[in-house]
Amino acid sequence: MSTVTALPATAQPTGVRLRDVTKTFRRRRRAGRTALDGVSLDVAPGEFLCLLGPSGCGKSTLLNILAGFTPADSGEVLVGGEPVRGPGPDRGVLFQTPTLFPWLTTWQNVLYGPKARGAHTPEVEREAAALLETVGLADARDAYPHELSGGMRHRAAFARVLINRPRVLLMDEPFGALDAITRATMQRFLLELWQEHRTTIVFVTHDVEEATLLGDRVAVLSGPPGGTKAVIDIDLPRPRSYDDTETLAFVQAKRRIREVLES
Amino acid sequence: MTTIEAEAPAAVPARRRRKTRSWRRAGMGAAALAGVLVIWELAARAIGDSVTLPTVTETARTLVKYLTTTYPEVQGKTLVEDALISTGRILAGFAIGSAGGILLGSAMAGSRVVRELADPLIGVVRPLPPIAFIPLLVVWFGIGETSKVVLILFGVLPVVTIATLGALDAVPADLLNASRSLGASPVRTMLRVRLRAAAPGVITGMRIAMGGAWTSIIAAEMIAATGGVGFLILQAGNYLQTPLIFSGIAEIAVLGFAFDGLLRLLLRLADPSTRR
Repeated sequence: MSTVTALPATAQPTGVRLRDVTKTFRRRRRAGRTALDGVSLDVAPGEFLCLLGPSGCGKSTLLNILAGFTPADSGEVLVGGEPVRGPGPDRGVLFQTPTLFPWLTTWQNVLYGPKARGAHTPEVEREAAALLETVGLADARDAYPHELSGGMRHRAAFARVLINRPRVLLMDEPFGALDAITRATMQRFLLELWQEHRTTIVFVTHDVEEATLLGDRVAVLSGPPGGTKAVIDIDLPRPRSYDDTETLAFVQAKRRIREVLES
Repeated sequence: MTTIEAEAPAAVPARRRRKTRSWRRAGMGAAALAGVLVIWELAARAIGDSVTLPTVTETARTLVKYLTTTYPEVQGKTLVEDALISTGRILAGFAIGSAGGILLGSAMAGSRVVRELADPLIGVVRPLPPIAFIPLLVVWFGIGETSKVVLILFGVLPVVTIATLGALDAVPADLLNASRSLGASPVRTMLRVRLRAAAPGVITGMRIAMGGAWTSIIAAEMIAATGGVGFLILQAGNYLQTPLIFSGIAEIAVLGFAFDGLLRLLLRLADPSTRR
C-alpha cells in the first residue's frame, strides 16, 4: 500500500478553450436535435471544472467533442492551444462505465495504451506496477474485469488512463453507477490525485453535492439545448475532504448552484 | 493522507472453488448417463427382442466389433472409416462456411451497402432447411464429397454470418472510443477491440451451426452416399441390425460432443467470464 505520491509524474497540465460550440444531431425525416447551442468556456491549466446540468442538456456531448469522439458543427475547440482533431492519449477519458477490455487482465488493460502507442518499455511496466499499487489493485493485477468489484473496475480504468500521462482528464459521470460508499471513496481518491498532480479535469455530473465537493468552478449548463448558464466559483479551501460537506460554507455553495440550476 | 484499501481479489479462492464445482458437475453428468443406460438395459431385458431394443451389452459388443469389421461385409466400411468420412465432410464444410460467414458478417457490419444487399438474401435463405437442397446438389455435383461439403456450407454460412453481424453490432461504442483515446489507431481498434470483443458471439454462432451441420450430413448420407455414419445407419436399418443402428447413433453422439467440446474450449479462451 502506498499513497497517491507514488504516481508517475503527469505531464504539464494544459487549458481548454471552447468558443461558440454548437452541435446538432441529424435525425431521419425530422428536424435535428440541437444538443449544444453556442457553448463558450475556458478551463485554466490545472483547474478542476465541473459541468453540471439536467440530463439531456448536452454535458456528455460536450465531453465527447473535447475527447474527439464527435466533431463540433461549428465553434472553436482547443486543448492546450491545439484544435481537437480526433481522440488522443493526451486527453484521458473516464466513461460512465469503466469500459475495461473484458478479455484482458487488469495488468494487460493498464498496459493497453503504451502497447498501442509503441511505448511499452520496462520503465512503463515499473510505472504500471506503481500505479496499480496506488489504486489498491496490486493484488488483482492478474484478475479479469468480471472478477473485480465495481469500485475496483473504476480504479483499474483510472490506472489505464493515468499510465498515458494525460494533460487533461475528461470524466463523464464516472461514479454515477456506484453505491454511495464506494462513490465517496472514489471522490476522495480523485481529490487526492488532483491535489498531488493538479491535472486539468473536466468532470461531468448531475449531482450538485459532487460538483461542489470536487470543483474549483462549476459550469451550469442550461437546456436542452445546452448553453452555459453560469459559471460559479467554489471558493472552499483546499485540500478538501468529505467532512467539508457538513460545513456551512459548503451548504451555502450548494445552495447558490441550486438557485442557478432552478432559475 | 489516506489511501484506498486494497480489497482482497475474489479471484484466488474462487478459482479453487470452481475447480471442485466442475468436478462435481462432471460426476453428476456421468451419473445421469449411467442412469439412462440402466433404464435402457432393464427395458431391453423386459422386452426381450433384440430387433426392437437390444441390450446395452449387445450394443456395446456390436459397436466394438464393427470398429474394425466392415459393414456390409462386401464393399462396406468400418465404423471408424465411416466416422472419418463424416467428420471430414463436416470439417471441410464447417471451415469454409464459418470463414465465409465471418467475412460476410464483418463486411455487412462495416459497409451499409453490403448490409442492405445481403440482409434480405440471408433472411430468405436462413429459414430454408438445407436438406431441401440435397436432390439439387446431387444433380449438380453428384453423390461425391462436393455435394456434402456444399450442403454443410449452405447450413453453416447464414448462421455464422448472422452471429458475426450481431456480435459486431453489439460491441459498445465506448469500448472503441476507449481504445482510440488510449492511443490506438483506427485499424488497431478494429482488429484488437471490435473483432476481439465480437469473438465470443461468433463462437457461440459456430456452436449452433455445428449442430445443424450434423443434421444435414446424416440426412445427406442417408439419401445419396456410399459411406459415412448416415449411410451406415440406413444400411443397418434396412437389414434390421438394430444394435448397429444404436452403435452409429452413439458414434454421432460422441463426435458431436467432442466437436462441441472443442468449440466450448475455444469460447473459454475467448471469453474469460465463461471460465468457471
